[in-house]
Amino acid sequence: MSNGTAEFQAFSPGEETSEIAKNNPSAFLSQITGAKVAVKLNSGVEYRGDLQCVDGYMNIALEQTEEYVDGILKNQYGDVFIRGNNVLYISSI
Amino acid sequence: MAEVGADQLDDTIVSEPLDLVRLSLNERVFVKLKGDREIRGRLHAYDSHCNLVLSDVEETVFVMDDEDEDLKTIKKQSEMLFVRGDAVVLISPPSQS
Repeated sequence: MSNGTAEFQAFSPGEETSEIAKNNPSAFLSQITGAKVAVKLNSGVEYRGDLQCVDGYMNIALEQTEEYVDGILKNQYGDVFIRGNNVLYISSI
Repeated sequence: MAEVGADQLDDTIVSEPLDLVRLSLNERVFVKLKGDREIRGRLHAYDSHCNLVLSDVEETVFVMDDEDEDLKTIKKQSEMLFVRGDAVVLISPPSQS
């Protein structure tokens, strides 16, 4: 049984990559930290914000977050921690 | 000899998402739970499961009243509360922009 944590490749913040990493999901996640993302939860609620960090369980830390319910902006948060089991997807926008 | 880098000495560095929760220890937090519930309280403890211990808690339950088709809220207060981690959806400091 895997323990659920993934190995992340180190990425220096200033590095610019025009190509999205396609080799594995954890490379994609380490690449998009710092970028604006849309996180959709299993419940259908969507959060848009700047991705601070992710871990192997898909727990997420976001900054300057907006909460969309049924496509309508409902709430705004300064910092947000999202428990990974609720996450359906993380998309860069 | 193991060298301790500056990152490991700085308590405010956020390297993983749970570190964001660590920064909120002893502060008031806003927690969204499954079942259309929200709680606001002072965070005393947490773990990797997101089990939480909070004090001076106000719980808000959002109920859809099918009869009047109205969204009602039920508020409850607790001095001390233990939250099982699997119910947690999100944690945030309550000072929202």
